Amino acid sequence: MEKKIKDKLKIGIYELTGCAGDALLILDCEKELVDIFKAADIQSFLMAKSDNIDGELDVAFVEGSVSTEREKKELLDIRKRAKTVVAIGICACFGGIQAAFLDKKDWEKNFKKVYGDNKMTHTKPLQSKPIDAYIKVDYYLPGCPIDKEQFLSTFNRILRGNPPELYRFPVCVECKWNENDCLLNKDILCLGPVTRAGCGSICINHNLPCVGCWGPVENANLTSEFQLLREKGFDSDFIKKKMANFSGTGIADFLGELKGEKR
Amino acid sequence: MRIIKLKKDNLSPFLEIISVEADLWAPVQKGDKHVFKVVDDFSKVELNTTRTILPPRKIFLPPTFSMFNISEKGYKEDLSHIKKRILFGIHPCDIHGLLILDNLFKQAYLDPYYLEARKNTLILGLSCWPDEYCFAKSTNTHIIEEGFDLFFTDLKDFFLVWIGSSQGDDLIRLKPELFDENLTDKDIQTYINWHTERDKAYKWSINFTVLPDLIELKYMDPLWEKLGNSCLACGSCTNVCPTCNCYNIMDKQFLGGKDGKMIRHWDACTLEEYSEVAGGENFRKKRSDRLKLWYTHKLQAYISKYGKPSCVGCGRCIATCPVDINVRTVGKALLGEEEDAFWVRLNMEVTK
Repeated sequence: MEKKIKDKLKIGIYELTGCAGDALLILDCEKELVDIFKAADIQSFLMAKSDNIDGELDVAFVEGSVSTEREKKELLDIRKRAKTVVAIGICACFGGIQAAFLDKKDWEKNFKKVYGDNKMTHTKPLQSKPIDAYIKVDYYLPGCPIDKEQFLSTFNRILRGNPPELYRFPVCVECKWNENDCLLNKDILCLGPVTRAGCGSICINHNLPCVGCWGPVENANLTSEFQLLREKGFDSDFIKKKMANFSGTGIADFLGELKGEKR
Repeated sequence: MRIIKLKKDNLSPFLEIISVEADLWAPVQKGDKHVFKVVDDFSKVELNTTRTILPPRKIFLPPTFSMFNISEKGYKEDLSHIKKRILFGIHPCDIHGLLILDNLFKQAYLDPYYLEARKNTLILGLSCWPDEYCFAKSTNTHIIEEGFDLFFTDLKDFFLVWIGSSQGDDLIRLKPELFDENLTDKDIQTYINWHTERDKAYKWSINFTVLPDLIELKYMDPLWEKLGNSCLACGSCTNVCPTCNCYNIMDKQFLGGKDGKMIRHWDACTLEEYSEVAGGENFRKKRSDRLKLWYTHKLQAYISKYGKPSCVGCGRCIATCPVDINVRTVGKALLGEEEDAFWVRLNMEVTK
């Protein structure tokens, strides 16, 4: 029997800077979409509906990184209204591609290169950062975009008052389950060992190396991965760029440590 | 044990006949490696393989499968992954691997998922020729005397076929005219020559008898820290090991209703989450401690209980670990030989 609306959890799904791929993925759960809307009271979901309400929320799912003053304000407001905040997608979790320039000076230089001296009138641009740079995040659901199964399971568990249950090991585990031949052993730059699983090792299944789009796995051995790739003959700056591509902020400490490196 | 002869050309017709009522799993090519797969085109079956990427335990306990179906009425065991199967082309070391898993899953709590699958699978072993990674002679798992229904020794022009069980004999009886009961002296000499040459073909060996003591003596050795520094904690050694058997269980509830599943997936003690308990405490937060656990289990603890290592010399960890931490390099390091074999990179001036 369907629950009465007042018994349902109030949910908001929000998009900041990103490709909107995560919100799109939620919409793409076509078979489950009716169940999603039945199970929860979706108060705000810009991509799916027009009668959005910005009120008190039980759970807010936030996609994208913060890259303007207006987004920062919006995010702080979401946090104030929501009991639980879930970061969805690599941009919200670790900053994504737009946060690859970790150094403020590098970012300013690049900003100038792209926008020149144009004045920004509607809002002030900020160096792109993951949402936990500004607010407390309760749960992280990484991915680029997030995985359908993982989203549905997380959504479902949160509705039932349980914390999400996600894979906490690296891509290599799923990659072995899929019986792929290790690309690192073929001297290909693969970030599987330092990247969180959940994607089903989809790239390696198609003979493409892992680019790290699920963000760093907890306590990844970045030093060993870096040294291994150096030993295979990859240029030090090239490895760093590859590692920072999706999850710059997630590995900022490591990149900082490397600054005193010898070549 | 009865031993008969099968001409090479008769193998495909034999496999075709026996696979009518069961899925036939055999090694087939994947990239430049091999994997066990259900085959219906028998010309694709590879006879000259070394190790498959994953060990045959994946056939009995898939990397992920459903244990229970849950509904409002309660839960029901889900044994849908179990089918009638014939596993052809499994090498002696991997059969030994299954015998080790039998020990583990038949202890105090019987594991129905493994044991039922095992009961429904016939084992058709195949001889092999070692490559540079194999060391089954060191673990004495290069020969097999039990644990198969049929065993095929490949002698170039023909197979000698050992009949290991009545079920194996039933398979032969499906088409006995494919086989030859009469072995000549020449056939026997061919087998002796093959056996001698094959035993000589192992390119390296390791003394396993001393390793349990060395694990104890070197339990606090800085060697483990070095290993931990280089270990990527990717879990690959564990996933490819034919005797690893740990698993984790996750709930999967369906949206809207009360139905769900309990999913069991392969776990690995080399992964950080493995030793984490409620409240977030972790007994083996360090990679070095987790490696120590894995190697103590394989090379020491299992020996003290069963008198042999929980390593069958298949060489998968050697072929798989991207940073060269495996039974060979760890074994040699424990023995004081080639102490840095596993991590020449640590000495390289690449980062600091």
